[in-house]
Amino acid sequence: MSATTLTMHILNGLAYGMLLFMIAAGLSIIFGLMNIVNLAHGTFYLAGVYIAYYFIGRHMGFWLSLLLSIIVVAVLGVLMEKLLLERVYGKELEQVLLTFGLSFIFADVVKWIWGTSPLTLPVPSGLDVSADLGFMIFPAYRIFVIVVGCLLAVLLWYMENKTRVGAMIRAGVDDRDMLSALGINIKVVFTCIFAVGAGLAGLSGVLGGPIMGMYVGIDSEILISSLVIVVIGGLGTWKGAFIGAILVGVVDTLGRVLFPSFTMAMIFAIMIVVLLIKPNGLFGRGAQA
Amino acid sequence: MNKRSFWFSLGLIAVLAILPLLLSSFGLKLGSEVLIMAIFVMSLGLIIGFAGLVSLGHAAFFGAGAYAVTLIGDHIDNTYLLLAAAILVSGILAFISGLLFIRSSGAYFLMITLAFGQMLYAIAYKMEELTGGADGKPVLATFNLGFGEIESRVTFYYITAAAFAACYFLLRIFISSPLGRSIIGIKENESRMTALGYNTRNYKLVVYTLSGMMAGFAGGLYSYFNEYISPDLLHWMFSGQALIMVIVGGVGTLLGPAIGAGFFVVLQNYISSYTERWPIIMGLIFVAIVLYGRGGIVHIVSLIWNMIFRPKQSKNRD
Repeated sequence: MSATTLTMHILNGLAYGMLLFMIAAGLSIIFGLMNIVNLAHGTFYLAGVYIAYYFIGRHMGFWLSLLLSIIVVAVLGVLMEKLLLERVYGKELEQVLLTFGLSFIFADVVKWIWGTSPLTLPVPSGLDVSADLGFMIFPAYRIFVIVVGCLLAVLLWYMENKTRVGAMIRAGVDDRDMLSALGINIKVVFTCIFAVGAGLAGLSGVLGGPIMGMYVGIDSEILISSLVIVVIGGLGTWKGAFIGAILVGVVDTLGRVLFPSFTMAMIFAIMIVVLLIKPNGLFGRGAQA
Repeated sequence: MNKRSFWFSLGLIAVLAILPLLLSSFGLKLGSEVLIMAIFVMSLGLIIGFAGLVSLGHAAFFGAGAYAVTLIGDHIDNTYLLLAAAILVSGILAFISGLLFIRSSGAYFLMITLAFGQMLYAIAYKMEELTGGADGKPVLATFNLGFGEIESRVTFYYITAAAFAACYFLLRIFISSPLGRSIIGIKENESRMTALGYNTRNYKLVVYTLSGMMAGFAGGLYSYFNEYISPDLLHWMFSGQALIMVIVGGVGTLLGPAIGAGFFVVLQNYISSYTERWPIIMGLIFVAIVLYGRGGIVHIVSLIWNMIFRPKQSKNRD
């Protein structure tokens, strides 16, 4: 493999990693803060991309559809949290089953409306060109996704470490009861975090549409990869999700080229090694759940 | 074994023995499927209800058993050997994965077992030359316990019934043994058991391996039953279905998960013949059970039982 091809695969891996980061970040914070393994998180991705497909089909344009889709998915997340999840807080098994059941329902609804054949989103105009990087040519849209991912990472890092909301989240991950004892309305914090997590997954879905396409079953693929990232990166931290997502994205993309049969096994092996050396993940905070 | 559980066991065997007289040919097939699923779900119920290990990758062991029978069955056609191989393969997988995973608990354990199951799924999906990939693979091995090939549905039903009864009584003995008691103790209060000098991880590993072996046995039987296997048997959706069967039946009982399996398999067959939207209905059942289930079928039945037959006692308990 020449250096140029290798660079191309690594860039592709980075783009994929950024998409995964947007999902894993929400999953990780929701898990760390609320102690919910949200198995319906892949559903937010799925909902995001199909809703955008619907709006684009109504001639709304890519960017408006992106915005609308994120809003719809965030509202969906809030409804899910307020109407259903709030009733089973603290009951681990019930939460898992509830979100699992919801992912079943949504996947089948999508199948019902849009069928099973894979669809794809168009690349937004202006970005549907190839950029000349000097030493190689690479699709501009993927570079755009990498840039968006990095900007988002910086924004989330700033929020986590420099703002009041971030301080609340960090405190909540370490000790939930203490946070509410300090007079912070933890219910509102939970709902906001859930909305942000869902919105991020929706964003990832829309941005991923032109690259990965969309089909029933992509929700569980994305979910599994995100869970692995959360375990590798550690709970309740955006930094962990970022590093973990880049690692999984690049390894997955390179693996598909070099040894297609064992990519998943290799990602999994990385997870086990990390787990054996650092049971809390690379950047995990607080005690193990 | 006390008097009550003796009569209960006898009743269970009688029901299993008499059922074929009442069932149609299709009902017999469904009965076999229920019993195989019941063995699988019971093995999952064991680690959830008695060891507190909530796994979302238990289909890995069921699928491993099914693939063991199918793949080795291409070369060797001895039912005893193949079923032993299914138990052995899934037992080894459970032992190794348990060794790595049991140090974590709760939601972490759940995610790791889920990822482990998906890894096996991905391998079975990708290794097309060996496993047939997404299309799956027909099972060539014939079901022969030494008396000629078994093709009659009634005979197959009785064999699965015997297998189920054997697994059930094995688990009953296991649970009431000192080893089983220690495992329940670990679930109730792990730090106290550690303080008492128990190496709790080893105890969990034993029950996890046993559970994996039983799931593999069920998977092996399933190969013979279905005569066709696909990677879906390893998929986390299947693990999740087994998990909901445990919850529907009742966590913390042996027979509960088996009853949950029966409820679900029959319901799925019934609803699927009317509509393609089974996943939506199943999802709604999940949500309803989580929000309104209150401990599963077994608990509801025993509550009613106590209300009818022991009004005084149940009042005292309240």
